[in-house]
Amino acid sequence: MKDLTIRNLSKTYFDPYAGTNVTAVHDVSLKVEQGEFVCIVGPSGCGKTTILNMIAGFIPHTGGEILVGGRPVKGPGADRGVVFQSFALFPWRTVLENVAFGPKMRGVRKVEREKIAHEYLALVKLTEAAGRYPAELSGGMQQRVGVVRALANEPDVLLMDEPFASVDAQTRMTLQEELTRIWQEKRPTVIFITHDVAEAVFLGNRVIALSKGRVLEEISVDLPRPRSWDALNDDARFKELSGRVLQLVRSA
Amino acid sequence: MPHRLSSALWFCAPFIVLIVLWAVFIPYFDVNPRLFPHLSSVVQAGIEGIQDGTLVQHISASLLRVAVGTVLALLVAIPLGVAMGVSPFVSNFLTPLFRFFSVLAGIAWIPIATLWFGYGFGAITFVIFNAVFFIVTYNTLLGVSTIPIHVRNAAASLGAGRWAMLTEVLLPGALPNIVTGIRTGLGFAWRGLIAAEMIATNVGLGYMLFVARDFYRTEVIVLGMIVIGVLWLLLDRLVLAPIERATIERWGMVRRA
Ligand SMILES: Nc1ncnc2c1ncn2[C@@H]1O[C@H](COP(=O)(O)OP(=O)(O)O)[C@@H](O)[C@H]1O
Ligand SMILES: [Mg+2]
Repeated sequence: MKDLTIRNLSKTYFDPYAGTNVTAVHDVSLKVEQGEFVCIVGPSGCGKTTILNMIAGFIPHTGGEILVGGRPVKGPGADRGVVFQSFALFPWRTVLENVAFGPKMRGVRKVEREKIAHEYLALVKLTEAAGRYPAELSGGMQQRVGVVRALANEPDVLLMDEPFASVDAQTRMTLQEELTRIWQEKRPTVIFITHDVAEAVFLGNRVIALSKGRVLEEISVDLPRPRSWDALNDDARFKELSGRVLQLVRSA
Repeated sequence: MPHRLSSALWFCAPFIVLIVLWAVFIPYFDVNPRLFPHLSSVVQAGIEGIQDGTLVQHISASLLRVAVGTVLALLVAIPLGVAMGVSPFVSNFLTPLFRFFSVLAGIAWIPIATLWFGYGFGAITFVIFNAVFFIVTYNTLLGVSTIPIHVRNAAASLGAGRWAMLTEVLLPGALPNIVTGIRTGLGFAWRGLIAAEMIATNVGLGYMLFVARDFYRTEVIVLGMIVIGVLWLLLDRLVLAPIERATIERWGMVRRA
């Protein structure tokens, strides 16, 4: 695990229909320490996915720099694991093979990588589903696979783009609790993107409010861990922090 | 298993009825064998064809042409389709062209094929090649270009290089389309083959039909038609359809061709 530094990052898209340039990200600077859990929150269209895609190396940035462990990002790489809103599992691979994919790319032998995959599947209680295909699983189960597939590759930074936005509300709460538990156990460096203020405050050590491609403010979340919805639903500090972030995001 | 047995029986049922009607009504109305043969004479022709080896010779000539034409077509079509599919610009640009030739492929190539290759193996294999090549290229291209960008990104961020992207993502991702393409293409190829063999050769099932006509041997014509149909059904039902089902259903992928 390594730290992540973003300096004066910006992105200008060319809109071929309007024939004009659109600046989706303005001069964003951010430092994420090793083992930190940072949430970026903002309304849809504010540039969250653009930032994450640049960090992942899926799209080039047009200004500033992105450093992982001091080294500039050039294209996608195994040092940055990604969890997608659409899960993006390989439909032609079993659950086990999906999770073993990263180790396989690193050249880990079959026996060894399947052992790794089994360990990670156990972490999200999916041992039983190892031999099944993604299409045979519920959305919540698919995203558990998506999370451990990224983790099993032991990336320096874990990037998550609204990973729980397309599962039902109950499952989402369970997944959020599971993610905080896994984070405490494995301590990966996480950048988590969401439009859901409560989710951001529940998960993060730090919440960064984004609006129209600019950072508005950073808020430290000093809530104790382990966190659970049962405990936090009526927690005064949780409500206060959520209220502040919500106000920030809405006022912009 | 009992389910598959009963569905196989249901599949055969209308054919059995047809054969029974044939066996009863052709003798009953005393139809001239120069117009339509008796069931018994077709069976007789089949037995003779097997015993003197001519039927086997025609069948193997036809199957060999299909096999060679198809394998050659796949060897070119799949890599080409993948190469075209990874670039949205190239795939958008070439899609109309391949769609056009996919529809054209088959019988329409026979005249030009005989001009280029003369009568015989070359011309017929060329017809098969075209029937399979354009459809499979088009389907591969379609399959690759419809793999969600997130899936490709996921592989890249898990450390997949160019080669792994090809073998682990692009080919399996396009496989349901490729299989559908092969199935459709072979259907065209089989029809094109019979037509081409009537014109451009002296051995093969199409040739067998066509020559029999000159001698009013309706029992050989009907035998040939039955063999052509049965071979296709066996190939399609026992080989192609199961592969298609295995990839598309198991993976929960939508049929896209
Ligand atoms: N490929 C693109 N071409 C042009 N504009 C884009 C492209 N992708 C995103 N945008 C624009 O950039 C802005 C930010 O988009 P995005 O990063 O997806 O926001 P979010 O993830 O916060 O919803 C939006 O105005 C969107 O229309
Ligand atoms: Mg987004």
